[in-house]
Amino acid sequence: MQTASIIMFFLAFFGLITSQNIIKSVICLMLQQTAVIVFFLGLRHRHGILAPIGDNLTAEIAYIADPLPQALMITAIIIGLAVVAVDITMIIYLTNKTNSTDWDEVKQKSRELIEEVK
Amino acid sequence: MLPYFVIAPLLIAVFLYLFSSSRASRIVAIIAQAVFVVFTLVLFLESRHGEIYTAVGGYRGVLGITLTADMLSASLVMLTAVLFLIAAIYGLKEPSSKLYWLLMFIWEGLIIGIFFSRDFFNVFVLLEVATLIVAVLIMYVRENRSMFDGVIFLMVNTAVIQFYLLGLGYIYMLTGTLDMAVATAAIAQMESSQLILPYTLIMAPIVFKCALVPLASWLPKVQGIPRAPAAVAAILSGLHVKCALFLFIRFQEVFAPVATEGFYIVLGIVTAVTSIIMAFSQKDIRLILAYSSTAQVGLIMIGLNLDEYAATGSLLHIINHAVFKAALFLGAGIIVRMYRTPDITKISGLIKRSPILSITTMMAILGIAGAPFFNGSISKYFMMAESGGLVFWILNIINLGTIILFVRYTKILFGPDTSNKSVQIDVNKQISVAMLAVMCLAMGIGGVWLANFLFGVDVELNFWGYFEKAVIFAASVAIALFVNKYVKNDNFFLARVRSLDLNFRGMCVCIGVLFAVMLVFMQI
Repeated sequence: MQTASIIMFFLAFFGLITSQNIIKSVICLMLQQTAVIVFFLGLRHRHGILAPIGDNLTAEIAYIADPLPQALMITAIIIGLAVVAVDITMIIYLTNKTNSTDWDEVKQKSRELIEEVK
Repeated sequence: MLPYFVIAPLLIAVFLYLFSSSRASRIVAIIAQAVFVVFTLVLFLESRHGEIYTAVGGYRGVLGITLTADMLSASLVMLTAVLFLIAAIYGLKEPSSKLYWLLMFIWEGLIIGIFFSRDFFNVFVLLEVATLIVAVLIMYVRENRSMFDGVIFLMVNTAVIQFYLLGLGYIYMLTGTLDMAVATAAIAQMESSQLILPYTLIMAPIVFKCALVPLASWLPKVQGIPRAPAAVAAILSGLHVKCALFLFIRFQEVFAPVATEGFYIVLGIVTAVTSIIMAFSQKDIRLILAYSSTAQVGLIMIGLNLDEYAATGSLLHIINHAVFKAALFLGAGIIVRMYRTPDITKISGLIKRSPILSITTMMAILGIAGAPFFNGSISKYFMMAESGGLVFWILNIINLGTIILFVRYTKILFGPDTSNKSVQIDVNKQISVAMLAVMCLAMGIGGVWLANFLFGVDVELNFWGYFEKAVIFAASVAIALFVNKYVKNDNFFLARVRSLDLNFRGMCVCIGVLFAVMLVFMQI
């Protein structure tokens, strides 16, 4: 699982480098976040482990799941959600103004609009 | 006790959000902020007797989240409080948006949180939320350019912080803790070959946040946005980047077995030289200041990795740079409003229009250039004191570059007055810039005492050494005047440099390249 998540992380990063479309970049960003979450959830994972809940846990220490990565990832997911939400808000604004989701085109058109205002 | 220092600015923020329509509530907030400055001073005096340590929620040791204030973080918290006080005075009359005031004070709380935090994951959360706040602060003026640069800023920052999060996972896997103090002890036992991957994953984002070349371009991009509040630009280079430098110092301590000083010295030199060339090619005064910020960060980076004396100089320079760069940015905000253009070739005659602002700007320039008796000279003196040979000359050349840059900047003071006469200068803005300028001079005269007081290190100023620096300064000014007379900004080479612009994909490539280079460097 660890290896898979790292491969996924760098694939997503490759996507960030190559994608021409803003929406695709956002998707790659989310994919990157997901890869990190998978990495964390796989930390110290083994088959047959139990959730650390309940008063009379019978399993040995080694067979109780570590609750910390899960707790961390809930926070990370929320922050990721907030960031993506702000990203999308800004992108919607830009797309409405420029009628495009292409990085270069949006850049060029938003510069042109500034020139017009001047 | 320490959590209250993070919560207090948040309370001010909420108070202002509820009542910000009236001028009176802003004055109340400024008074509250001034009281807060006094409290940070008390905290600093307290931290001189030993580290102050708070376990949030009462869980001690590995389980809890700890906040710690040692002298370095307490002095930086004091700086944060002072700068936000001045930014609040600056913005007393405008902008009127409630959102602006809310976000500014939340930002203060977050920055203070970063300085106290001793937990890897806390740092991640605070950095990420601070990024979000900066993104909203620069784009709330709702202009296409600011939106576009805001999107790039936010997305690149998010992409790069994922590396940090992955590195944090590695740390947890290796040591079983996210507490920096415990992790330091565990890492000290390990082989450096084991640490290469987590170290690179954690340091690459920090290098990005420090705005070092090749990743420097996000900072000027954000600071050069037209109509973005000047105070945001001032805090960005005054404090936001300093958070990253502070984390750099902390993480270098955590990863003590990994020896990488040489790499950062080279990176710092490259950053400083490139930024000075970039700054010299710009026409927008805010961009000149922004690129000179990255040059100073490069200088600090060199100093931090040289020797103990230079490291003290660098710490002092972190504080000095925050003061004079804030003064310059806030001054530039007034100037841009007054002349209705940020173009340096179209601004002239400031000395006729506003003598007070000219004097304060000049004082800040003398500070950044390292003129004798101003604060920059003290920190630069300590940086160069122990170094000899090649490094000494490189540092002097970088300083010469800064002087060339700011001799060019002084052009706005002289010549015929081209300002728009109908625009009034607000008194509160002038007061805030003047406060910073006076601090430049005071911190220069009491510089040695300040270094002893803030960092508890025993440094002293050699009179002849300082005199030598003054002579070098005078020679540099002469060279700078000469260069500015003969090298024109319309030069073909400089025009090419000016048009250089990294897009989003370019920045991602740079992150990848930096990551790969760091990995390869560590393997050798």
